[in-house]
Amino acid sequence: MTKELLAVLLTAILTQNFILCRFLGICPFLGVSKKFDTAIGMSVAVILVMVLATAVCYPINQYVLVPKDLEYLQTIVFILVIASLVQLVEIILRKYLKSLYNALGIYLPLITTNCAVLGVVLLNIGNNYNFITSIVNSLGGGVGFMIAMIMFSGVRERLETSDIPRFLRGLPITLIAAALTSCSFLGFSGIVDNIFR
Amino acid sequence: MGPILTPIVIVGALGLVLGLVLAIAARVFAVKVNEKAEKIRECLPGANCGGCGYSGCDGYAAALADGRTDKTGLCSPGGHEVAQKVADVLGVEAGYARQMTAVVLCQGNSHNVKTKINYVGASSCKMATQLFGGPKNCTYGCLGFGDCVKACPYEAIFICGGIARIDPGKCKACRKCMSVCPRGLIELYPVNEKHTIVFCKNGDKGSDTRKACLQGCLACTRCVRICKNDAITITDNHAHIDSEKCTGCGACIPECPAGAINHLHL
Amino acid sequence: MEKNKALSHEFTKGLLKENPVFRLVLGTCPTLATSTSVASAIGMGIAVTIVLTCSNIVISALRRVIPDKVRIPAYIVIIASFVTVIQMLVKAFVPALDVSLGVYLPLIVVNCIILGRAEAFASKNPVLASALDGLGMGIGFIFALACMSTIREVLGSGTFLAGIKDLLQVFGEVDFNGFTIPWLSEHPMTIFVLAPGGFFVFGCMIALANRVAERSGRKCAELNGCGSCPMAASCRMTGEEGRK
Repeated sequence: MTKELLAVLLTAILTQNFILCRFLGICPFLGVSKKFDTAIGMSVAVILVMVLATAVCYPINQYVLVPKDLEYLQTIVFILVIASLVQLVEIILRKYLKSLYNALGIYLPLITTNCAVLGVVLLNIGNNYNFITSIVNSLGGGVGFMIAMIMFSGVRERLETSDIPRFLRGLPITLIAAALTSCSFLGFSGIVDNIFR
Repeated sequence: MGPILTPIVIVGALGLVLGLVLAIAARVFAVKVNEKAEKIRECLPGANCGGCGYSGCDGYAAALADGRTDKTGLCSPGGHEVAQKVADVLGVEAGYARQMTAVVLCQGNSHNVKTKINYVGASSCKMATQLFGGPKNCTYGCLGFGDCVKACPYEAIFICGGIARIDPGKCKACRKCMSVCPRGLIELYPVNEKHTIVFCKNGDKGSDTRKACLQGCLACTRCVRICKNDAITITDNHAHIDSEKCTGCGACIPECPAGAINHLHL
Repeated sequence: MEKNKALSHEFTKGLLKENPVFRLVLGTCPTLATSTSVASAIGMGIAVTIVLTCSNIVISALRRVIPDKVRIPAYIVIIASFVTVIQMLVKAFVPALDVSLGVYLPLIVVNCIILGRAEAFASKNPVLASALDGLGMGIGFIFALACMSTIREVLGSGTFLAGIKDLLQVFGEVDFNGFTIPWLSEHPMTIFVLAPGGFFVFGCMIALANRVAERSGRKCAELNGCGSCPMAASCRMTGEEGRK
């Protein structure tokens, strides 16, 4: 069981990295990875919301939608739950954890429309994970998101000072740098399967 | 219930429950926002420079509103105008805003300092300093690639003779340049008060400094001895003048053998 | 006459001038994920176009009814309903597309193009203009996806329009199932259909679009982070980051 969970965790972090292999959450990846501290703030917020969203959406799917044969409502129900969850987290953080709110607050509204969060919930259900595996998968996805963001913020800080051909300046060179970063993650493919075989 | 009614009821109920939870949460966990702080915040320029000593403009506004401080003139980017506005909101007399300007503490221009390597890398002080301590002989002085020029939102900084210079008329003391200078050469000084400044931060021994720069501080302590107000101290092999104690008498200026001390050029 | 001109502008601007992918840099996730083959890219493009047009019409019709404070959740619900409809249609008529798009089909809900157009256009303009705007933007999206996927499919797997049969099946039996490119199919550059190829081709396409735009005297597409983001209005980061 532990072995299985570890395999799921490592797969989500490395081989099936949310940003660099699955293309989920590209917008914040390109928008917020300019500086190291914003990258960290955003990814911590994403980890928090991903795990919470999975914890809430799983029972709703399992005990309300599946028994009534209403799986086709998943999309609409999950996005509703995620949107309200984000609001709720924001309200509670503002009241009780003021310093955390100051650090993460500005990223929370952005997360509602982050495809990584809805994506992880849908993937958990698509893969027929149980509750614990789902949580582990979400955690792995979030941590993978964080690793990619942090790595890439370092790359971008270097890009700032380099001399780039005119038409590649800005977004195009960022995307090409992302391609190279993503190449490095290709190196992990197959590793996890072989370790846990 | 039919296949149509069930989903309608479920989605409706879910929406209602979530809406109610949010509404209750918003009521229960409501945070009181200080109206005075909001008003003060609107007066402040919003540069979030931290020049006032609080965590950005929000922090200063909150401190003023809560009565933790009564100094309305701490905002140097805003100057007197903002101090007056803030005082109006609080209903008190406006404090005197001490107008500050950033100063580059280096005189190592192309005449005074020779270059040791022909640097052709990226045009950035941050990058150049990582390569053998930069192209110039002095490893403490201004590199002149203009990281601070790029950082300045007010176009107050320019490069002259291979070193950065700041126009006190344009400088709003926002401290942005201070954080980008890899050598930490930029400091704030009050504009309208007469006092002297040591334009050097070289940490080498006097003999080495002499070889690197014609106008570098040699830490000879002549200025320390001549100063009547004990304003000058030597730390890290260079002199430093305490702007609180300095009366601006100017006795140290002719005393310095290297010519490293001067008034603030306006 | 004047009115017709304005309406046709709403339609044509999305095709090239304000192409949602290459110029506004919206909807990057589905662009990168589904452009591995032309067939799935076109399928995705059509699905997005339908959702975009329908949701633009409904949101524009309801723009005076929806209170300003809850407009984002309201938009999301409207969009999610249309996505659910599309999901069911695809599952029923083009099951192969459902498999190849996988999780990205329900993820149309959070596609920035749709929410972005709802917030930026449909909530302020009449129904007909919004419908045309949605249709134009959708076709621009299909065009962008087709460009990207052509490059990636031809170089990455040495085929063109492979699997188009499943899409065309909706209109009746067809035998056509794409071309195989002689030399490339034996020596495909697999990296182009993998993740890095997606980023690389996208980067090159935007550089190309920038060059074309500069030739005709327009501004380069910029990554301002917030300017095109649909959440800009409700996000406090616009205050600090947006100004830079």
